[in-house]
Amino acid sequence: MDELDLLKKDWSKQQGNYPKLTYDQIYKMIWKRSNSIVKWIFYISIIELLAATILNIVFSGDKYWEDIEKYNLEGTITILYVVSYIITFYFIFRFYRNYKRISTTDDASKLMNNILRTRKTVKYYITYVLISTGITVVGISVYMILNHSNTSADDISKYSFEAIDWVKFIGASALVLTVFLGLIWLFYRLLYGILLKKLHKNYKELKKLEM
Amino acid sequence: MEKELEHQFVSNLERDQNIVHKICRIYTNDQASHNDLFQEVTIQLWKAYPKFRGDSKFSTWMYRVALNTAITLYRKKKRGIQTQDYDTVHFRIKVEEYDDETEQRLSLMYNAVKELNDIDKALVFLYLEDKNYKEISETMGISEVNARVKMNRVKTKLKKILNP
Repeated sequence: MDELDLLKKDWSKQQGNYPKLTYDQIYKMIWKRSNSIVKWIFYISIIELLAATILNIVFSGDKYWEDIEKYNLEGTITILYVVSYIITFYFIFRFYRNYKRISTTDDASKLMNNILRTRKTVKYYITYVLISTGITVVGISVYMILNHSNTSADDISKYSFEAIDWVKFIGASALVLTVFLGLIWLFYRLLYGILLKKLHKNYKELKKLEM
Repeated sequence: MEKELEHQFVSNLERDQNIVHKICRIYTNDQASHNDLFQEVTIQLWKAYPKFRGDSKFSTWMYRVALNTAITLYRKKKRGIQTQDYDTVHFRIKVEEYDDETEQRLSLMYNAVKELNDIDKALVFLYLEDKNYKEISETMGISEVNARVKMNRVKTKLKKILNP
């Protein structure tokens, strides 16, 4: 086929027209995989913060703040917000540091250390989210129960609980809370689990090379 | 030990990088995907490198691993949404000595190759690289007879694309 021969001739003429990468550029590519995974962990943490902030603004309209003022909780709530944002920002900063560190690493054993560190940071982060959510939910429930009875219920006798009702009530609340936290945990397992698994695979490959 | 392996690998790849660039040119349509594929091939080569025993030439081994990577990646992409813009400018660099008519024939031909499927592209690539059927069969992991038959089919396909 003439066309194919023409193409072949042209193909061999193109030899000199390809990009030329340097030794260093190729060397860096070997490490890039972990780099992009850690980059995604960093991005996801930022997206998460943005989503949480937007949800917060959407759901906490004027009514929400009126209620808070009614119960004299402005101070406590503000402090809680500030603390939670500081902690979240701290984690984002850690994710960013991990990302930067991995993208500049050119040594296998250091890279392995960094991968381990990133995995740990993610685990700490998930633990923090679970514990803080748990405490907040329990705190709000306890506060509501304590306040409800002496502010808005007019017919207290109707609501008076026997000891057994209290046990039932607390049991049910604990169950709901567990399911709720379980769902959050599952969500994070899915979100970060895939990335962490890939990182771990990369780590194992590096370790094999090390031996 | 590992440092030495790394150095060996990177030097080899630096020397023979043209092979990977050429494969990228056959399988991708723009500079960004060219770079992505180059990087992916580099990672796959590096992963497979400890298994490279040196009983074939580094470049021969590279053809096999790099083509496999390109083919696998191309398959994965196909399952998703496929967007293609034919950027012939990137794909073919003009060589001054041709007249307009030859230029045009070449351009049509390069576009025709782009329309082939992943396996056929690999065959054409090896053919353009002036590999004989024995080498093609070894690289692709098929028999020599099969390689011949396949190559003939590809030629027919190309003809059909050029003269529909």
